[in-house]
Amino acid sequence: MKDWFKSGSPWIWMTAGAVSISLISVIGLLVMIAARGLGFFWPADVYEFDVQQADNKQTIIGEIYDREQVPAKRLKNMGIDLGDFQGETVERILIKTGNREFVELDFRWLLQTDIKKTDTPSGLGVFERSRNGNFYGYVDKVILDGQQVDSARLEELIERAVDISEQAVDLQNGEIGSINYRLEKMRLEERALELKDKLTDERIAEFEQERKQLKESYQEFEKELFQLRKALDRDEVVVKDMRGELVTLRIAEVLDVHFPNDMSALQKLGRFFVQLGRFVTDDPREANTEGGVFPAIFGTVFMVMLMAVIVTPFGVVAAIYLHEYAAKNTVTKVIRIAVINLAGVPSIVYGVFGLGFFVYMLGGSIDELFYPEALPNPTFGTPGVIWSALTLAILTLPVVIVSTEEGMSRIPSSLRQGSLALGATKAETLWRIIIPMASPAIMTGLILAVARAAGEVAPLMLVGVVKMAPTLPIDGNFPFVHVDRKFMHLGFHIYDVGFQSPNVEAARPLVYATAFLLVTVIVALNITAIGIRNHLREKYKSLEH
Amino acid sequence: MISVSPEIAKIKNVVAPTDLTPEQTALQMNNLSLFYGEKQALYNIDMKIPKGKVTAFIGPSGCGKSTLLRCINRMNDLVDICRVDGEILLEGKNIYDKDVDVASLRQNVGMVFQRPNPFPKSIYENVVYGLRIQGINDKRRLDEIVETSLRKAALWDEVKDRLHDSAFGLSGGQQQRLVIARAIAIEPKVLLLDEPTSALDPISTLTIEELINELKETYTVVIVTHNMQQAARVSNYAAFMFMGELVEYTDTNQLFTAPEKKKTEDYITGRYG
Repeated sequence: MKDWFKSGSPWIWMTAGAVSISLISVIGLLVMIAARGLGFFWPADVYEFDVQQADNKQTIIGEIYDREQVPAKRLKNMGIDLGDFQGETVERILIKTGNREFVELDFRWLLQTDIKKTDTPSGLGVFERSRNGNFYGYVDKVILDGQQVDSARLEELIERAVDISEQAVDLQNGEIGSINYRLEKMRLEERALELKDKLTDERIAEFEQERKQLKESYQEFEKELFQLRKALDRDEVVVKDMRGELVTLRIAEVLDVHFPNDMSALQKLGRFFVQLGRFVTDDPREANTEGGVFPAIFGTVFMVMLMAVIVTPFGVVAAIYLHEYAAKNTVTKVIRIAVINLAGVPSIVYGVFGLGFFVYMLGGSIDELFYPEALPNPTFGTPGVIWSALTLAILTLPVVIVSTEEGMSRIPSSLRQGSLALGATKAETLWRIIIPMASPAIMTGLILAVARAAGEVAPLMLVGVVKMAPTLPIDGNFPFVHVDRKFMHLGFHIYDVGFQSPNVEAARPLVYATAFLLVTVIVALNITAIGIRNHLREKYKSLEH
Repeated sequence: MISVSPEIAKIKNVVAPTDLTPEQTALQMNNLSLFYGEKQALYNIDMKIPKGKVTAFIGPSGCGKSTLLRCINRMNDLVDICRVDGEILLEGKNIYDKDVDVASLRQNVGMVFQRPNPFPKSIYENVVYGLRIQGINDKRRLDEIVETSLRKAALWDEVKDRLHDSAFGLSGGQQQRLVIARAIAIEPKVLLLDEPTSALDPISTLTIEELINELKETYTVVIVTHNMQQAARVSNYAAFMFMGELVEYTDTNQLFTAPEKKKTEDYITGRYG
């Protein structure tokens, strides 16, 4: 036993154990999030249950969402009649029944004992709608412009409707949005001239003229839009729901239909990827509980990149000063310790600082100086993506400074002397030798900064993130990049969907899916940065002696 | 005792370093003292270093020979607590004058260090580094200088096919010759070699020594070495230093065959050091 201790084996077992536990928890976390999140996109079978509770007989159609075991005793105490059931526990199934406008709850628990018959009948359709969630039922007839047509044409009609509504959305966000944007710009221009007392009658007439033109084209587009909407209203589908009643759905509201019980595994796989793709590329609907998360992905990546662009030069320059030029005395040491400790300040504190300093002071001053015409509406004096990026840049600045300094002190002094001995000044040596050789370390700092910034939510809630942003920070209107706009963020989206949602059960899989996506985005950002760093390392690896 | 026959010494008929005329002098140190904080490292050194010759500084570890060498291109400026008194004249101009630009001084006084220190760039970019610093970017001119410098450093034939490969792919001896090529590419007047062969194997050492012999045709070479045989082989003049003082400075043959001072004799006969 003593020998066993002396041999060091327990030490190896202990250290290896620590590594295994960390590894298992990380992998477990990823697998769980991935399984739950991705499972949401798999087209599950739709069941039809014949249920009998006491004398009340009904049919329930829906997807199985969850199963759990409930002690029979507890149910009996609650006064639920289990009939002649003898077991310890009863299985309870959570069914998503959809058809939100016709039932009280679109999720309901069913006791296994109440279920008399379970079936997955063919021909059961899942209608994904732009309003009120999914609809489950059998297609009864398809109506094209008032005439009944072959039900097989349903998908073709839906495709047409989706096409048209896409056109309508494009028109609304594109041309019409652009006209509104220009009208607003013009109003501000006019107000600016008015404030400067330079608004002559001539200019007013010009503005009026232009406004009239814009309004005319607006009316044209509006007419086009109405036509599209009218075309959209043409078709209908009649569906028989679980109550056995016929319900007429407007095809305009149906985004998609599929019949999971009739699909082969391969078709299901195809649909899985289609759904996944939609989740990544679509806008959210229904208070974020349906649809995709594209604006949140875009907002996260855009904000992180903006932050990287801000933090890298600042951090590198500060590190250069600290390492190269600052006198090596107590003051420098204190500053360095202070910088390192900044990394430990809770992030919400940065959020408060960002709101007070960036948004109100800096943004408010910018508004007064450059956008007086828009006041009292703030332009920069309100939370926005630029302030979020700046706040996170300060938050991650210490990381970049510390790793850059470390990288610079790892460069052998012989290279520095070699450069100086060839007649280079200190600045030339810095630019030509030191900074290129420190670039892998700078990238390391950036990787850590990005990893931290992409996951932060708390400070962003104060300085720019919103539940639903109507426009992206980048669009087709001059100047194309609008850093004053508010944005959506995956981390905040998780919080919003998970905790602020009106429909908890519907939101739950979205929380996992969004979490998985957030991890994927951060990993993708990091892998890119690591790739660049490895390339730089290879290029600038120093002599090993 | 290292054998240099007195006959050869006579035939060479060398001038004693104190008798050098201003035209024959590359560097002149007048009453040079150096302090690291409170501690004095060099004591009142007076010496003339001859133009177009190889001068060797020898002495035991810590005697101040490297420090003295680093005074010549003001590398000691990098040490915060270092202070220099006295003067070093390069072509009649004190390099410690206030109006001297250190960068252009170092372009005139090149230096090669103990360990090869190529930059993490290609062989080509290493050689042209000093030229690019001076703002020379004309491709044809750079190509020309790369070839002549590498030829002078006896490296051209070995690397001419892989000029754009990383300099780290070269052996230690090749790297040291590359560093020499890099130093002579900017055509300095004086070349300082700080124990250039101490990190190299015997064959590379031999190549470098042959190279030094050729370099003195064009440049004034000052070399610090631990190896007395090397000093005897490559240098025309030799200075023996001890505890920060210049003990004896004369032509190499005389220093190794008939040293005047007892300390010098003790050192070169191996009683200490």
